[in-house]
Formats: sequence, structure tokens, C-alpha cells
Amino acid sequence: MNELKNNDEFLNEEITPEEEQALKQLQEKREEKRHMGLKAKSTISNTIIYIILGIISVIWLIPFVFIVLQSFRVENTWMVGYVLPKQWGFDNYIRLFKETSFPRWFLNTFIMGLIVSVVQTVMVLSMSYTLSRLRFKGRKFLMNFMLVLGMFPGFLTMIVLYRILSDMHLIGANAIWGCILVYVASSGMGYYISKGFFDTIPRSLDEAARIDGASRLQIFYKIIMPLAKPIVIYTILTAFMAPWGDFVFARYISNFTSSGMNVAAGLYAWLEKDMINQMYTTFCAGGVIVSIPITILFLCLQKYYVEGVTGGAVKG
Amino acid sequence: MKKRILSLFIALFVAVVLVGCASKTTTEAQLDLTGTYKVKVWVADAITALTQTQIDAFNASEEATSRGIKVEATIEAVGEGDAASKMTSDVINGADIFGFAQDQLARLVEAKGVSQLGNAAAKFVNDNNDGGAAAAATLGGQLYAYPMTSDNGYFMYYDKSVITDATHLTSLEQLIADCEAASKMFSFELEGSGWYNAAFFFGAGCVSSFTFEKNGAIATVNDTYNSDKGVIAMKGMQKLLTSTCYNNSSNAAASFDASVGSAIVVSGTWDSNAAQSALGDNFGVAPLPSFTVDGKTYHLGSFTGNKLMGVRPQQDPKKAAVLNLLAQYLTGQTCQEQRYKENGWGPSNLEAQKLPEIANDPVLSAFNAQNEYGVPQGQYPGQWWDLTKVLATSAKNAKSDADIQTALQSYRSTLDSLVGVVPPSWDNGPWGVIGKFGEYNWNEDVLMTKKESTEGFVFESAPIEFAEGDQFKCRLGENWDSSVGNGKDNFVVETAGKYIVRLTVTDANAKTATITLVPVE
Amino acid sequence: MEKLNDLQYLRLSKWKKFLYKLCMFFVGIPVFFKNIGIKIGRFFKNIVLRIKDLFVDLFLTFKNGDYKTRVSYLIFGFGNITRGQVFRGLFFFLFEVLFIFYMIFWGGGWLSKLGTLGTQGPTTEWVDVGGIDVEKTVYHDDSFKILLYGILTIFFIIAFIYTWRINIKQNKIAQEILATGKKLKSGKDDIHSLIDDQFHKTLLALPITGIIIFTVLPIFFMIIIAFTNYDKTHNGISNNLFSWVGFENFNQLVNVGSSSNFSATFGEILGWTLMWAFFATFTNYFLGMLVAIMINKKGIKMKKVWRTILVLTIAIPQFVSLLYVSKLFATDGIVNGILIKLKWIEQPIRFWEDKWLARLMVILINIWIGIPYLMLIATGILMNIPQDLYESARIDGANAWQQYMKITLPYMLFVTGPYLLTSFIGNINNFNVIYLLTTGGPNNPNSSTAGGSAGYTDLLITWLFKITTNDSNYKIAAVIGIMVFVVVAVISLIVYNIMPSTKNEEDFS
Repeated sequence: MNELKNNDEFLNEEITPEEEQALKQLQEKREEKRHMGLKAKSTISNTIIYIILGIISVIWLIPFVFIVLQSFRVENTWMVGYVLPKQWGFDNYIRLFKETSFPRWFLNTFIMGLIVSVVQTVMVLSMSYTLSRLRFKGRKFLMNFMLVLGMFPGFLTMIVLYRILSDMHLIGANAIWGCILVYVASSGMGYYISKGFFDTIPRSLDEAARIDGASRLQIFYKIIMPLAKPIVIYTILTAFMAPWGDFVFARYISNFTSSGMNVAAGLYAWLEKDMINQMYTTFCAGGVIVSIPITILFLCLQKYYVEGVTGGAVKG
Repeated sequence: MKKRILSLFIALFVAVVLVGCASKTTTEAQLDLTGTYKVKVWVADAITALTQTQIDAFNASEEATSRGIKVEATIEAVGEGDAASKMTSDVINGADIFGFAQDQLARLVEAKGVSQLGNAAAKFVNDNNDGGAAAAATLGGQLYAYPMTSDNGYFMYYDKSVITDATHLTSLEQLIADCEAASKMFSFELEGSGWYNAAFFFGAGCVSSFTFEKNGAIATVNDTYNSDKGVIAMKGMQKLLTSTCYNNSSNAAASFDASVGSAIVVSGTWDSNAAQSALGDNFGVAPLPSFTVDGKTYHLGSFTGNKLMGVRPQQDPKKAAVLNLLAQYLTGQTCQEQRYKENGWGPSNLEAQKLPEIANDPVLSAFNAQNEYGVPQGQYPGQWWDLTKVLATSAKNAKSDADIQTALQSYRSTLDSLVGVVPPSWDNGPWGVIGKFGEYNWNEDVLMTKKESTEGFVFESAPIEFAEGDQFKCRLGENWDSSVGNGKDNFVVETAGKYIVRLTVTDANAKTATITLVPVE
Repeated sequence: MEKLNDLQYLRLSKWKKFLYKLCMFFVGIPVFFKNIGIKIGRFFKNIVLRIKDLFVDLFLTFKNGDYKTRVSYLIFGFGNITRGQVFRGLFFFLFEVLFIFYMIFWGGGWLSKLGTLGTQGPTTEWVDVGGIDVEKTVYHDDSFKILLYGILTIFFIIAFIYTWRINIKQNKIAQEILATGKKLKSGKDDIHSLIDDQFHKTLLALPITGIIIFTVLPIFFMIIIAFTNYDKTHNGISNNLFSWVGFENFNQLVNVGSSSNFSATFGEILGWTLMWAFFATFTNYFLGMLVAIMINKKGIKMKKVWRTILVLTIAIPQFVSLLYVSKLFATDGIVNGILIKLKWIEQPIRFWEDKWLARLMVILINIWIGIPYLMLIATGILMNIPQDLYESARIDGANAWQQYMKITLPYMLFVTGPYLLTSFIGNINNFNVIYLLTTGGPNNPNSSTAGGSAGYTDLLITWLFKITTNDSNYKIAAVIGIMVFVVVAVISLIVYNIMPSTKNEEDFS
């Protein structure tokens, strides 16, 4: 701003061409300096950010890397005082797949993840779409009611669900089906995020289609669904991930029947006092294996996940 | 009306059955046991494979083949602690046969998750196992389970390269000093479990034991944790707890190998392999040391206990019989020896105990040496472990003896509320007369009884012979926190004679009361 | 406190404005509760009025109805069928038949036992089998099942009455339509409307059924359990049956003087739970936002790499990573080992043995868990903030901090308000972090109760877990569950009424 003023002042005076040349050079130089200053400033701040991000990454990666290292440790006791294994090897992984029921658990969880992600997505989408786009009597009540339901500490109902499933013979060896049923059946409760997403899609789209004579079903799958790709993928992803980490409910329902466990329940049992010394490194190997499909999925679908969750969280 | 008569009839019938059950009169039913039985077995992970081969051996045994029994077992790895909690939450879908730690017995019986043993089975248990093991499987005078091991106790694994002087092994203070000097840890799970910190209480001479009704409810308590001995125990514990080398852990392998490694780990036989492989040539094992408080030395005590095998109550008596046979086989001499050889589990079977390699096993010898100071682990209610667990934390935080006493008192009052003992109160007593009269000299309370009265709460003693000048006071709950005399002073008897001491509590909230002497003929 | 008008308010200094706002907030609280009271009062008044209307309507419909309508009072769908709506009518009729069938064979039995929750516990007798005397057990009533299916039956009855009511209403409407000479909807129309006007019914049918059976029923059941003596000594089938006890369990919890010490423990844990939820939510929120801002800053390269590194922590199951982290910080753990080796400390730091240190640690480690999620959310939102806002701010000479305070933060707070609330509630019920890191420890000698001893980092939810799994004290767990519910509900109500962004649902459309 200052420079501009100065120039205004100059305008009132007579300037020789030489002077003009010099003035121009001066101004150019000044401009360049200012630019360099800005650049330097941003370089400094960027460097600081790089350092901070570097530190954060290290902190975030350490446990991950350590767990991976543990899984390659051949000498198998529980925690040891060093990070790098004294003896490296794939023994834990071989043991995991050859001597334990891990492959079974992995398969179980995979099946659970597949079925749950498909059915749950259908449930959540129909629930959230309805609550977001359709107006009907009792809609507000329904939403408030589910909000209130969500405030009750859910896992207390574990004992009830156990008995219901037990009467349906879906515990023990059939526990994965019981788990699937419960995950899927209560999935409608988790409509918030995807309802928030649907809320951000302009309603004028629906109205235009209505005028063109489209039925609500047609609007649903012809107009809304294509726009809802991020939230569909987000829902699939979260639904698929849930069974991999559930070590409380799945464990309770499995009733200690190894063939009915998911990976979490199965691996968690190795933390028992009398097993942990022999099984801990194998346990870590199991954790690493579990994280592979999830990581891959996450990396591939990260973009949609971000879009879905932001669209949703914005309106919650 | 008809319905009511019917239900009355049913109730009567049930009562008859129940009475019959109590006296163990059996209905005669000579049944053939031939058949294939599907049996669900829960045992610790370490012995799942072994148990499968043992069950196969059972199927091939004389006992099974002669009766035509075939057992098809599904064996799941379930830790001994988990088994009981899962059994109690759903008995009907639980395992038919399961291994569990003896401290879970009361809980299992309470939930009726384990069936009582018949006369034949009881004879088998008593004849073949050591007395402690049989007692461990007994509750309310009834046998409920088959002993699997007699090795559930703790002692000390240590690193010979740190504890170089073997004479230090007998002194807690010297061991702490050694650890501190070497910057090594002393692992003792005092804060994690009442099972471990009982070592100090038992060492100081405290007792805590429970008896149970047949239904698993608590019948009586004998507990002296809240006493001078308890204070000594807590002070001894405090030495270790406040030391810089204290580590709250009982996992030998993990603690010896840890980043800040331990030199001493108090743990049990289950850790022997892990400890040996962690320490190698420096592996040492010893009974627990002694600790010194106020110049007196006390040897640390411990719990000695057993692992048991229980049979779930069955609706089909044939299956129940087969399960009993199977459990007897699995807890018999052969199977116990196999478990020792594969996993180092110390047998409860008398014959197996005589085996030279078992008798000379260094770890089991340490266990047995510690057993001299051990208390057979009877039955405790589940909450007892929680209550005693925090005593170690209280000891750690205590700044003075008064803090320790407060902690012990709060332990006691919670324990009382657990058992249903009403704490002393001004309006309910118990009041007692204490003083110098007759044969008494301020050493014992003569209890008073509560009387019906309109004037307030009245308590009276039995007639007492007083001499002139005798002094006494009335006090509440056998301690001096609340007492009444002539005001704050002792009550002085002016004329000799035989009197009833009457205490009238005029206002229980304001804690005011008066004493009168009622002469008796 | 006097209310100021706008002009007076504008004349206040900055500090006084803040004070004024603060005062108004607190003044507003009683008004807020008063309003709630009024709302509740109105709600009940409405209900009474509606019930009255309902009966009047039922009566009038019967009085004015033809025989088809009147028969429908007994036989569902009769009116529909006779008026040509066969599809609808059969649906109603089938429902009635099924209901009656259910009530006769199952429902009636369950209902009749609901009052006592069963009368006969298990019995045992001694049987001699092949020379071995064994105990034979026979299980009779099962209180749990009676209660569960009793409640389910009540649900069915409510559904039945509701269907009955709709059935009658339909008759009334049909009668009216026919009276005006119009045609009734055919079965085809009905089916078509299910994908159009009534599309919500189609979409909601499955999810709502699932929620009713697997969420509403169990929650209802657990609330009812608070009025029974269901615990380890009365497990309902294998030892003793349980029965109704009224408000006894609530007394046990509420009575401050009761020796079981539950109320003091509850208060202590509630305090920490709220503290934890507050810090866990806001540390994650602000730090997550900060990380997102840093990653998204112009000129920062490898954005994807940074994000991926953070996201890796989501991929490893928490029970693996948290347990490991917990052990890293153990007294003899690797962190202490390294610090000692570096000679920064002489004695190990007892991370998990001190009340406040342990609490600090769980909050810090929770940041480690939570930031990746927040970073992802914040990334998306940051990208949505119109860039011209920043441009104009820059021209006005605002520095980075001012831009953050004036643009980023208000925008974020506005759009993520509901998310903050849900994550606050989520943190109140955050089981994994606490259970896996400390299992509630260190011990709290003051809250050792006769059952379910709680530690210093125990949240209500982990305490509940201990009470149910260690002590099988379901009745008290149910009571505490209700308390948790009340606390969460009150908090959400207040927040919901204060937050700006929740009110206008259609703002963004």
C-alpha cells in the first residue's frame, strides 16, 4: 500500500527517462525481495510443519512397527525388553496357519464382514434415505426415539441378546450367524452419518423428478444412489471393519466354541494368563494379518471414506 | 381351586424330593450305560491336545469298553478363571466337564453350575488324593469336584546373577536392597490380587476364612485382618510397595525379559518352564522370604490350592454317570502323571506324588517348602478378592499407622456388609461392660442385652457382683471409640452388692446415655 | 440480572459482553428446565386428549358404521374383503389369526407367568446308574425366558391393538369414500403405493423390525430387570428363580448411608466419566483439526503418505494395539527401559499406578487412537470451506492464527456440532480404550464395594462390565444402566437446545 502512495506522489513531479528506468529497477528489486521474504517465511513454516508431521508419524508408527517386529520374533515369550527380535523368522505366521484355528476364524470373520457389509448397507441406506428425503407421520418421533435408544449403554443388552440367540441356536458353533443377525438387525440405529450425507443432496433434484412423474423408488435408485457413492462405500467399509475388532460381543456369543469365533474373540483368548507366554508373538502375527485386508481397503477407498464421513458428520 | 390343590401337591412333592436329596437316598435304576456320548470339555489351552489323547485312551480303557461307552468330545481351550464365569452366566449351554481353579468353587456351587459328587465318586476322590485337595473340592460339607493338581500356590523365582548371596533369600529387606542396588525389579502382584498379598497377612498371623451353606451362601466368617497383626502385615508390604524396585506383576517370563528386568518374580508352578528359559543358568527358585517389622521377623505365608475338574449338572442320569467315570479317569494317576510330564502340573494324586521325578522336582520342592507356611485355600466369596486387592494399594498410600488402621477398618465394615453383619450402633449395640470388678480387670467385655422399653434404648447386663470402689465403663462394639461412664470418667460403685448394669441410650444420634445400677436380690 | 436491549449490549466492553453472555447462559438454565417441564406437561395432556378422541372415534365409527364395519370390530379385514379390497383384508385377517394362534399356544402361557416370573425352580434327585450314584437335575421354570417372552407378548398385544385400530379406521374411511361415490384403491394400487407414496413403509419395514427385536426389546428388558432381583444367587433357571422386588435396587444405589457404598462409588465414577468424555472429545477434536490443517496446507507435499501413516492405526484392531501400548508404558516396560538407558530418569515412572498419571495417560493414548478419524473428517470439511473467505481475509492482512480463529474454527464448530455431541456420548461409553489400557486400574481403595470394585480410570461402562461379568449382579447393572441413560439424556438435551446447527435440519438442502 505504501509503495502505491509513493508512486502517486511521484506522478505529480517530472521524471526523466533515466530516473524512470532506475525507479523501475528499484521497484522490481523491492518486489523480488518481498517475494523472497514471503517464500522464505513459507519455507520456514513448511519446514516446521514437516518436522511436526515427521514426529507425529514416528509416534503413530512406533506401536505399529513394534507389533510387526514382535510378529517376526521367534523366541516366544510375552513382552521382552528389546524391540528387534534376536531371532527372525516366519515361525509365528506358519504356526498361526498350521497349528491354530486362525484360518477358520479368519474365514468366519471374512464371511461376517461380507454379509454384514452388504445387508447393513442396505438397511442403513433405506433407513437414512427415508428419514432424510421422505416426509411422513411419525418421522420426527422415530428419530427422537432412536436418539434416546442410543443413549442406553448398549452392551448391557448383551445378556439378553445371548438368550435370544441361544433360543435360536445361534450361539456356540453357530455364533457367527448370531453375530451377523445382531449386527445387521441393529444397524438401522447407525443412520446418522448417512442421513447427514443425504441431507446435503439438494431436494430440488427429487422435486424435479417428481414433476417428471418418477415414483419414489425410481428416484431412490436412479437419482439419489448414483450421487451417494461415497456414503455407500463409507457404510460398506465401516460395516466390513466392525467384525474384525469385536472381542466382547462375539466372544460372549461364541461361548468358547473355537469354530464359532471371529478373529478378535479367538486371538483375545490367547491373552489368558496361561497362554500369553507361548502365544503372544503369534497373537501379534494374527493382528498383523488382520490389519492387511483392512489397510488395503482403506487405502483404496480412503477418498470415498473422507467424502462420506464429512458429508455425514457435517449434518450428523 | 383345583389348580391350587395341584400346585400344593407339586410343592409337597418337591419338598419330599428335596429332603430326599439332602440325605442322598437314591432311586434304584439299574441302567445300561452303553451308547455314544457327546461331551463338551473345557480345559486350559496348555492341555487341550493332551486331554484329547487322554479321552481317546479312556474310550479304549477297560472301564469304558466293558460298559460299551464311547465318548465323543469337543474340547475347547478355556482358562480356569474364565470357565467358572462363563458357567455361571449360562449353566445350560456350558461345558459338561471343565477344569477350574478352586477359588471359583463357591461361585459355581451358588449358580449350581457344578454337580455334587455321589458316594462312589466321593470315595474315589478321598482315597486317591491328598487331604488338602479333597478339602479344596468340598463346600458346605459336600464334595463337588475332582482334584486335578496340588500345585496352585506361589513362591519365588530369582536371578542368581543378581541375588548372588543365597543367605539373602530369607530376608525380604535384603532382597529389596539387592534389587535396588542392581536396578532390577522385584515382581510381586500385590496390588493385582488378594491372592498374592495374603502372603503378608498370613505371614503376620492373620486369618481369614469363610464357611458356606450348602447352597453356596456364606455361613460364617473368621477374619482377623483388622487387627494389630494386620497392621504389621501392611507395614511389611509397604516396604516392598514403596521400594523403587517394586513391580506389580506375576508373569515370570515377561518380567525377567522386560525392559527393566526383574531379579525376583513371585509366581507359581505354571511359570516354571518360562522362567527357566528366560533365566537359563541363572535360574533359581526358593520359598518366599521373611520380613521384619518393629524388630520381629515373620515368614511370608501363601495360599496353597488346587485345580479341580467339575461336572455340570445333567438332566440325563446316564450321561451324568459317564461324565463321572470320565472325570475320574482324567483326574486319575495316569493322567495326572502325563500332565506333570508335559506341562509340569504337580499332581494331587497320592501315588503320582510318590514318583521320584515329581518328588525331587526343584520347582515342586520350592512349592512344598513354601507350603509349610501356606494356608490351604479354602473357599472365598468372589468379592473377598476385590476387597483384599485394594489393601495393598492402601498400604502403598498409607502415611501412618492410622491410615493403615482406617483401611483395615473399612475393609472390615465392607466385609461385614457383604456377610450381612450389622455394624455396631448406639441404638442397637452390641454394648458391653468393661472395668475392674470381680475377676475382670479391664480385659474383657461383659456383653449386655437389649431390652424392650419405652424410655429409649435400654441395654442390661447379667447380674454382677461389685465391691465398693469398683470402676467400669460401658463400651460399644468392644472398642473404645464409643463409651459411657459417669460422664467421661469411669463409673464408680459406691456400695458393694449384686447389680444389673442398665444403660439407657437417651438419644442415639446425639450419642447420650446414662448408666444406672439396678440392685438384685 | 437485568436483560439488556441491543443498544445497551453493544455499548458494553468486550469483556463485559462475554460476562453478560455467561450470565445469561446460567440465567437461562432454570428457564430451560421450566420449558422442558411445560413441554412434558403438554405432552401428557396431549396424550390424554388423544386417548379420549380415540375412544370417541371408535364409538362413533361403530354407531355410524354399516354391518361390514361392525363385523370388522371382531373379524379383521372383513370390511376390506366385502368391499373388494381383498388383498388388504386378507392381510389383516391373517394377522389376527396368527396373533390368536400365538396367544393360545405360547403368549398366553408366558403372560400368565409374568406376574410371578415362575414358581418352580430346578429340582434334583439321586439316581443309581450302573452302580454309580449321580445327581439328576430337572429344570422347570425359567424366569429369564418368562420375562423375555412375556415382554415380547406385550409388544405383540400392542401391535395387535394398533392393527385393530387401523383396521377400524380403514373401514370408516372406506365407508366415507364409498358414500361419496368414489372408487376404493385396488390391491394393485396398494402395491404400487408401497414403492411410491408409502415408500417409507417399504424401506423402514426391515430395519425397524430388526431394531425392535434386537434393540428395543433387550433395552426394555434390561430396564425391567432393575425391578427384579436377578443376580448370581437368583439366576432364573439353574439355582433360584428371580422375582419382582419393586424399587429395592434403586434404594440400594441411592441410599447414601447404605453400607454397600454404591452411591459414593457411582458419584466418583460419574465425575471421572464426564471429565474423561470432555477431554477425550476436545483433545481429539482440536488436535485432529490441527493435524488436518497442517497436512492440507498449501505447499506440503506427500499429503497421501501422511494420511496413510495415521490411518494405519485404524487398521490394526484396538485389542492388539492398545494392549501393546499399555505394556509399552508398564513399570518395567520399554518406555521406562529406554528412558533409564538414556539416563533421563533413574527410577521407572509408574505410569499406571498413580491416579492422575494413569488418567492423563489414557487421555493421551486416546489422542493416538482418535486423531486419525478426526483428521479424516476435518480434511473433508476443510476442503469444503470456501477458499474466497481465506483470500479476503488475507487481503485484510489477517495472519494464520486470526484466519483460524475467525474462519476455520467457527465453520468447523458450526458444521460438526452434532458430531461433537455424538462423540461426547460415544466417549462416555468408550469401553475399549479404558478396558484394554488399564482395565480400570489403579485400584481405588475408597470405592471397593461389596461387588464390582472400581478403579480410578473406570468409566461407568467398564464398571458396568465388571459388575455384570465378575459379579453377575445384573439387577444393579440395570439400575446403573438407567442412571447412565439419564445422565446422557440430560446432557444431550441441554446441548441440543443450545447448539445452533441442530435446529435447522434443512439448512443445507
